[in-house]
Amino acid sequence: MIDHLSQAVGLVLTPLSLLLTLAGVLVGLLVGVLPGLGPLMGIILLLPFAVTLDPIPAMGFLLAIFVGGSCGGSISAILLRIPGTPLAAATLFDGYPMAQKGRAADAIGIAIAASAIGGLFGGLVLIVAAPSLAAFASDFSAPEFAMLAITGLLAIAVISSSSLLKGVMAGCFGLLLATIGTDEFSTGYRFTFDNFNMLNGFHIVSIVVGLFAVSEMIIQLMGRGLTNKPNVPMVRPGFSSLFLTLRHRGNLLRSSAIGTFFGSLPGAGGVISSFTSYAVAKGFAKPDEQYGEGAEGGVVATESANNATIGGAMVPSLALGIPGDPTTAVLISVLLILGLFPGPTMFEHSPDIVAGVFVIYLLCNVALLVIGILTTPLFVWVLRVRKVNLIPIVLLMCVLGTFALQSSVFDLFVMFGFGLIGLLFRAANIPLSPIVIGVILGPLLENNMRRTLLISDNGLWIFLDRPVAAALILINIGLIGGAIWFNTRGPRT
Amino acid sequence: MDLKQKHAEYLAYAFLLAVVGVVFQQIATSFAEQGIASGGPFDNAAAYPRAVAILIVTLIALQLAVSSVARRRDNSETLSPAHLARPAAGLAILFGYVWSLNWLGYHIATPSMIAALMILGGSRRVAEILIIPVTASLLMAFAF
Repeated sequence: MIDHLSQAVGLVLTPLSLLLTLAGVLVGLLVGVLPGLGPLMGIILLLPFAVTLDPIPAMGFLLAIFVGGSCGGSISAILLRIPGTPLAAATLFDGYPMAQKGRAADAIGIAIAASAIGGLFGGLVLIVAAPSLAAFASDFSAPEFAMLAITGLLAIAVISSSSLLKGVMAGCFGLLLATIGTDEFSTGYRFTFDNFNMLNGFHIVSIVVGLFAVSEMIIQLMGRGLTNKPNVPMVRPGFSSLFLTLRHRGNLLRSSAIGTFFGSLPGAGGVISSFTSYAVAKGFAKPDEQYGEGAEGGVVATESANNATIGGAMVPSLALGIPGDPTTAVLISVLLILGLFPGPTMFEHSPDIVAGVFVIYLLCNVALLVIGILTTPLFVWVLRVRKVNLIPIVLLMCVLGTFALQSSVFDLFVMFGFGLIGLLFRAANIPLSPIVIGVILGPLLENNMRRTLLISDNGLWIFLDRPVAAALILINIGLIGGAIWFNTRGPRT
Repeated sequence: MDLKQKHAEYLAYAFLLAVVGVVFQQIATSFAEQGIASGGPFDNAAAYPRAVAILIVTLIALQLAVSSVARRRDNSETLSPAHLARPAAGLAILFGYVWSLNWLGYHIATPSMIAALMILGGSRRVAEILIIPVTASLLMAFAF
């Protein structure tokens, strides 16, 4: 891998890749700052552009949006006490009190520096862990991949909803959506209704844009104060924030490790990791550190953890092809559109691309540190934009982004339909993330399940005969048991 | 009648049951005609969607059973139909835009959609309602 990494530096250090990485960080910070958008929305809105590029610049652009978007939410959390994304919810515990004490610039600077360092930590873990996991998984065959798909789906269904049943229900809906189109085995047409637009199923982008972006914008339309202009003071952080952050080295390292660990678990993600690392940092705090009243350590813990999550989340996504959340699911779908198949085969057949993704991810975090600190005043200004002007522009981007993929009006109606489904499911408290994971994992699950049955002559004992598949069955039983226990006896959130 | 979460849940379950209904209808008609509704794992393209559909029905039944026990007192937030007027109008504007794009053209439909959504959101500044839609649609046309 070392050889490939050194070659990848050459692939990454091209003007286009560098420019797109910087642009991606800016876009990411923008979507992160604005409440209601976030990294997922940024990635799906710019995905149509990314799929026209080569894999490395495309992934650099989208990963930079992911990195910037995961950090950007802290700016609005610190200045307005409104987290731009759920990832920054824990940052306001100490970030906002710091701003109230006249240290807003320090708080934002620390948030950006901690995010960048946490991201770099996650990136290093990614470089070490992903190839090892891919090498381990290279011996997997159909039964293991089928069970792995079920584990990925169950994990996100369990964690994304307070109700296991609703989470699995949403995942199953996603699995059904994935069956639409031409069957790979029999070449028969399934659920196409003699409509040629449906021969390849619904485009993943139409589904994701509709479910998340359209439904979110329509919900925002219901809110009050759309014409209000937030009163935000101008803030200019400096690079001295990096030294303030490095004073919390132990906290930084511990929180980054927590973030990377939670990131690598399907379904856990940045919100859980930032709250957990905040709680742990509070437990380890010195007596003079007043957590909740503007402690620098609180901002360091939450921001380093939520950006370290990205590196962790990329480990199973790249090594096994199992996404941990909707954002990595969309990144996997981009690789699929670009003709790459995440999983052990990608490490075997395209090691240069894999290494390029590693290097460009590290670069995104370095860019975040520089661009984030230099351009904070721009994003403070963006916070003053009225929502009433923003919502129509985002909806227009949804329409154009979806249309641009295949120049298909049919895709727009699919997007609109999934917007309605997204609204209905949100109102019914049914999580949306398992639907997307179900759509991505559906073909992996069905194809490997059918291959397994072909190998075993329709026998299911093969799952127990193979140690990894049997271990995954145990994990799945544990996940279901844990969710039932938590729903019936455990604490409720 | 005020709307509660349980009404949305019933509607969502009805939607999922309708999807399940379509799965069985298609297996009985289109799949059978193509000869992919039965056979071994290679030929039988119906077994997997059928299994998933049955799982969805089971999950809905279980959820309804759990809800009937847990929801003796429903304290979920209520929403009056008046609250839904603005999002419904927003959806109507978006649908009208998608539907009219082909025959009205991008440069007429897009600024109209943006302006309509701005007015719906409460914007009353004439200059903003004129300038933002035209500028945004031209910039987006250039970008895409």
